[in-house]
Amino acid sequence: MIEFTVAVIQVLLLVLLAPLASGVARKIRAKMHTRQGTSIFQDYYDLAKLWRRCEVQPGGAGLVSRAMPPVFLGTMVIVAAGLPLIARACPVPLLGDVITVLYLMALPRFMFSLAALDSAGSYTAVGGVRELLLGVLVEPALILTLMVLALACGSTNLGVMADSVASLVAYPPVAVVVAGVAFACACYVEMGKLPFDVAEAEQELQEGPLAEFSGPSLAMLKLGMSVKQLVVASLFVAVFLPFGAASVATPLGLAVGLALFVAKLAAVLLVAAVIENAVMRVRYQFLGRYTWFVFGLAALSFVFLVIGI
Amino acid sequence: MLELMLLSLGLSATGAVLSLLLMRAPAAAKTAACTLGMGAAAASLASGVAAIGSPALLANLGGPVPFADLTVLFNPLSGLLVAVISVLALVAWLFGLSYFNEYYDKGIGTLGCFMNLFVASMMMVILCDNAFWFLVFFELMSLTSYMLVIVEGDEKSFKGGFLYLVMAHIGFLMIAVSFFLMASACGSLEFAAFRATAFDPALATAAFALAFFGFGAKAGIVPFHSWLPQAHPAAPSNVSALMSGGMIKIGVFGIMKVCFDLLALSGGQLGWGVLVVVIGAVSSVLGVVYALGEHDLKSLLAYHSVENIGIILLGVGTGIVGWACGNLWLAGVGLAAGLYHLVNHAMFKGLLFLGAGSVLHATGTRNMEALGGLARLMPVTAVCFLAGSLAISAIPPLNGFVSEWFTYQALIGAAMAGGIGLRVVFAFAVVALAITGALAVTCFVKAFGVTFLGKPRSDAAKAAHEVPASMRLGMVALTALCAALGLGAAWFAPVMSGIAASVLAAPAMPVAAGTALVSLDTISVTSPLLIAVLLAVVVGACALARNAANRAHGLKVDPEPWACGYAPDVHMETLASTVAAGVRGFMGPLYGIREGVNSAGAAVAGVFGRAFEAGACGQGAAPAPPSREQRVRVPLSESVMSVLRSVGAWFSRLEGGDFRTYIVYIVGALVFFLALIILVR
Repeated sequence: MIEFTVAVIQVLLLVLLAPLASGVARKIRAKMHTRQGTSIFQDYYDLAKLWRRCEVQPGGAGLVSRAMPPVFLGTMVIVAAGLPLIARACPVPLLGDVITVLYLMALPRFMFSLAALDSAGSYTAVGGVRELLLGVLVEPALILTLMVLALACGSTNLGVMADSVASLVAYPPVAVVVAGVAFACACYVEMGKLPFDVAEAEQELQEGPLAEFSGPSLAMLKLGMSVKQLVVASLFVAVFLPFGAASVATPLGLAVGLALFVAKLAAVLLVAAVIENAVMRVRYQFLGRYTWFVFGLAALSFVFLVIGI
Repeated sequence: MLELMLLSLGLSATGAVLSLLLMRAPAAAKTAACTLGMGAAAASLASGVAAIGSPALLANLGGPVPFADLTVLFNPLSGLLVAVISVLALVAWLFGLSYFNEYYDKGIGTLGCFMNLFVASMMMVILCDNAFWFLVFFELMSLTSYMLVIVEGDEKSFKGGFLYLVMAHIGFLMIAVSFFLMASACGSLEFAAFRATAFDPALATAAFALAFFGFGAKAGIVPFHSWLPQAHPAAPSNVSALMSGGMIKIGVFGIMKVCFDLLALSGGQLGWGVLVVVIGAVSSVLGVVYALGEHDLKSLLAYHSVENIGIILLGVGTGIVGWACGNLWLAGVGLAAGLYHLVNHAMFKGLLFLGAGSVLHATGTRNMEALGGLARLMPVTAVCFLAGSLAISAIPPLNGFVSEWFTYQALIGAAMAGGIGLRVVFAFAVVALAITGALAVTCFVKAFGVTFLGKPRSDAAKAAHEVPASMRLGMVALTALCAALGLGAAWFAPVMSGIAASVLAAPAMPVAAGTALVSLDTISVTSPLLIAVLLAVVVGACALARNAANRAHGLKVDPEPWACGYAPDVHMETLASTVAAGVRGFMGPLYGIREGVNSAGAAVAGVFGRAFEAGACGQGAAPAPPSREQRVRVPLSESVMSVLRSVGAWFSRLEGGDFRTYIVYIVGALVFFLALIILVR
């Protein structure tokens, strides 16, 4: 029962905080531009407004476009329920396997890109294809770092990984730290922030794959994308920064774990927001250079693992 | 078991003869071939399922040849293969009831005859337990399938078919040499004698390597893959399903049979497993990379068979490594993962080929660039194709995910258990599988999106119609099987583990508990069933909420997409080439390898072709099949040069200062020197 409660709390936390997180990111951007900026609650207002709008469907679009926003948000919710965020163990162990999480996250990507092709618009489709290519470039690094951690911890279950990292028994330590850095970089790419926002690429593609969505569907999709950013950041926090998460599921321990998790997540998002506003966009042809760098780091962590330092 | 199989073979033979006799009455020939074929498939399915759950049964059927009795062996592994091919055959015949209407003027009588013989010869290859008869039926399988490839009778099918024939015989030769090596060492052509002999390790390795590459040529591993994308698409689509889903699995079956069964007493060697894993990893990546470059729907699917054979071999290779190291968990789970993916690939690849056949039936073209918007016109085909695409992309909770999950667990488990060398090999395999997974998603977004979504880009696509009931039924049946193998994984996985255990002659590894899949050595669990239930509930709730908001605030349809202020035009749509161009941009060097390998394959076929022409042998004597660039008759020396050139071009980029290659180079050098230090120490 307590596991179920933890899972529900995690889901509610991430879904309810997602617009706040993106609102704060907007505020930080405004401040760094020396602008006043909108309220940090602006994204809630936007979503509420979109939810009450009439929806316009593009004529070519069919079931795929209709199904995509619920699939996107729903999948992210399920992933969020399985991660070991406020306790070291997975609230739903059946959802806590690394491979399961990564392949489950391929479902929204698949539908997202397919919906982009569905509307028959050229801008949407280009965005959708870029989203897929980004996945191709970053997935190997993600899996290699997680494999290094799995070998260091002796399990592919996120809860077991979190537990052995938190209790500092993951061996060899240097490999784990380097893997953590590589994973952080890969997560940053996966979050789709500058310079990796190629799918939306406001200047070139006018919000790319989202262009044909409107009204409640757009609201659900925007919420889903904010939740995805939080889920990816949480994945990093859960596995590489599990310190402070409850090792036994007592109410007090969970409360402390919850507070610390929010603090860690906020810190990670803050760093991400600062980086995002300090860099410029990259032409997507050159993305490979950056992802090769991330993959190089991942390979380095593997080398350290093999030689045992 | 045996009686059912004999019944099935009898029905196939009757079907073949009747179909040939009724040649003048196409409709009757088709009906006779299809119904008898379905009867045969149903009987062999029952026989195969019975064999999975029974102890091994060896039967001697005598036979006309004095030196080799026709012995057949039913064991769980052969039962599984028989069952898988029977399911595909059943569906292919069902599909054919309507699909073959197009072949009335292309010799439906011979088509029905050869397809019946083809299915029967596949059954016999699987069951045969004598080297001589094995080779006879293997050859019969190659010849009958060749006849099916050239049934269209156009230039393209002759070229593809000829390349196939040459490749099949190169494979046949290697397998034959492998068997004769073993036979000369133990003095008998009976597999039972092979099994009872402990061969000299060097001879065992030679026999294994020859058999691996020989069966690999049949299975379509890189570098013997070039015939697949040319031969499979040329056959009628339900035959492609049977070839791509069924026949190439016989290559994998042969590799397993030689390694675990015939060479059982000689003991597995670590090197064999590493060879299989490395070739599997390379095949999986290159298969999907090349698939992305294809615009022909069926060629794309054929390249994906190369990829999936690679994934199956990753599991099988891990099993061999575990077997050689005496790690029972690794051997059992690796092999079970390979077998599970073998079954899964047969189901979704069969489904996708039938889907492509439906598209071809409805529009008359396989060129994705000229399709588009079919989801509206052929909804059942579209939904089935989408399910197949999700399954082959390993997206939970469908069946592809289950077998890839086990494959990942086995690979990671192998890296955990192994020393430095094995760790590097299995890390390579894991990364290859990750790249393959991400590229497969891209490729099937392209295949499904460009074909079925958007707006029709040609008159043929505009005039498409849903296919007849028997074709729909065939696709729906395979879709249901894909879903069942995914959702019911907790019940199917122990069956695979049991078959793996019988192959290894070891206790079965626990792979499931309740509704969950379990991986013991990597301490992890997952449950496709739970994921499916959660997805249904959560996504359903989200959709209901969104639809309620739509009802409250209105929903309009805007006929045209936004095109930045211009009038939308059909030429603005994204095509297959758009998707491929992006991937080519990042993976250029990998395509360079293909040019080399393809032209080498073409050159080999060209040499045979000239020999054939000299012997003046009928229609098969087409000149060398061209590679992508229509290079006809590339001299061997030039093709070797082009491989060298593309490798050379890649290396020259190291000097050229490309920053990405530098990083790879540095990491590679680092790994090398660290390994050296450890070894010296």
